[in-house]
Amino acid sequence: MKSSLVRQTLILVALASLPGIGQALYFRDKVSWQSPVPASEMVTVAQARAWGGNAIWVDARPDVEFEREHIPGAVLLNEDRWNELLPRFLATWSPEKRVVVYCSSQSCNASREVARRLRDEAQLKNVFVLQGGWEEWLKKK
Amino acid sequence: MRTRILAFALSIVFCAAAHAELKWEQTTVELHPAANDKEAVGHFKYQNTGSKPVRFQSVHTSCGCTAAQTQKDEVPPGEKGEITATFKIGDRTGTQVKTVTVDTDDPVNATTVLTLKAVIPQELEINPTFVFWGQGEAPKPKTIVVRAGKDFSIKQLKVTSSTPDFETKVAETSKGQFKIDVQPHDTSRNIAATLTIQPEGSSKTFYAMARVTNAPAVQ
Amino acid sequence: MTSTPATLSFQPSTIPRFVRRIAEFIVGGIFIYAGVIKALDPIRFASDIDNYKILPWAISVRLAFYLPWLEILCGLALIARRLYLGGLSILTALASIFIIATIAAKIRGLDITCGCFGHASKNWSFSAHIALDLSLLAALIALCICERLPRNSS
Repeated sequence: MKSSLVRQTLILVALASLPGIGQALYFRDKVSWQSPVPASEMVTVAQARAWGGNAIWVDARPDVEFEREHIPGAVLLNEDRWNELLPRFLATWSPEKRVVVYCSSQSCNASREVARRLRDEAQLKNVFVLQGGWEEWLKKK
Repeated sequence: MRTRILAFALSIVFCAAAHAELKWEQTTVELHPAANDKEAVGHFKYQNTGSKPVRFQSVHTSCGCTAAQTQKDEVPPGEKGEITATFKIGDRTGTQVKTVTVDTDDPVNATTVLTLKAVIPQELEINPTFVFWGQGEAPKPKTIVVRAGKDFSIKQLKVTSSTPDFETKVAETSKGQFKIDVQPHDTSRNIAATLTIQPEGSSKTFYAMARVTNAPAVQ
Repeated sequence: MTSTPATLSFQPSTIPRFVRRIAEFIVGGIFIYAGVIKALDPIRFASDIDNYKILPWAISVRLAFYLPWLEILCGLALIARRLYLGGLSILTALASIFIIATIAAKIRGLDITCGCFGHASKNWSFSAHIALDLSLLAALIALCICERLPRNSS
């Protein structure tokens, strides 16, 4: 009975891997395999640039970093002054636009948090986080 | 020969014993700031339990909203100290987790990550904070639900719109829960309003936004 | 057939076969349903596993693509009575691990809103989750015991 149990367990474990691998292959470009931010919510600089005027760039960094330099046309929206800055951002937003939130590698959780609040609290659709953030933009400038 | 081996063994023992070691009282601090607090401060106490001084090489935080201060650059053996992490709350909500990464010349534990967890009390939960209509969309009312946060209670809510283009109606749906029905007078032009939400007896003001956008609404 | 003494004592081997079959269908069906729900949205399931903060993301995401299919196959094994022992053992192990992880998350103060039904059960309370999971585990253990004992000739 013991050997039958082991054999059956191994067969099931092996069989389950087939559809699992198939599904993983199907999703391979849609999933972030190493970090928790889902790939479908991240966008590269090239992809965001391709959206042209349909993209609204949102800078989630502290005020002083935004004032030093920012992506041309970007709107400042950080959690330090969320209540004050949100109305200004919403005045520029419209439903067909894609929101691309970025921050710097030093404060990089900020873009995910701002994106999350825009999705959960303001219930906006098409909110993305810029892969590589401000540093990636500078490299591709 | 035996003497040499003994001397060699002893020298290894002495080298191992002469070490630097920074011991932390705790590496995670949970803070519960009050609703009106602007900052939350965490104290991470340490002691050098080794026999050599420990030097701080760098201290950096996970976000610009947290500043960390070491009292000294070098900690002599046996000495105690603390790193103070000050988290600027701003308009953040919910549970915030920020880290402070401390690099030292301690060969055993060169890097320590200190975690500051701040549970920010939320007097009101507003969902959603933004309602909108597309141009030409039927100007039906849309609802914003306002709930009292944990450990808070609301008896009454006062809601005012920054422009007369939007009408607001407040109704209590259950204890501590209200709904705000927002309705534009017309959706033929691009209009926006900030809704000021004030719980009775509270000095804090909350906001929601209403807009008629210049494109059809995508729901 | 042996006659039973005046004071009846419960013997798993005296449970009618149809009762066992009903239990197998219900338990197997629940696991198939749970597996399908999670297989339909593996990305969300990956973040649900990640919320327990036990495994690194790289492992959570790979498990999210594998576990639902294992649940479905083992549920089918229970119903079809093929590879039955294997299916029963795996489901018992999965249910036990799940209960331990849920209790551990609760003790650590993590806000876990998903149980074995993925995001479909996100509004359930902690007690509801644990109650269902423990019921499933109890049913699985009962089926294990029934399987190990000599079958009732009826």
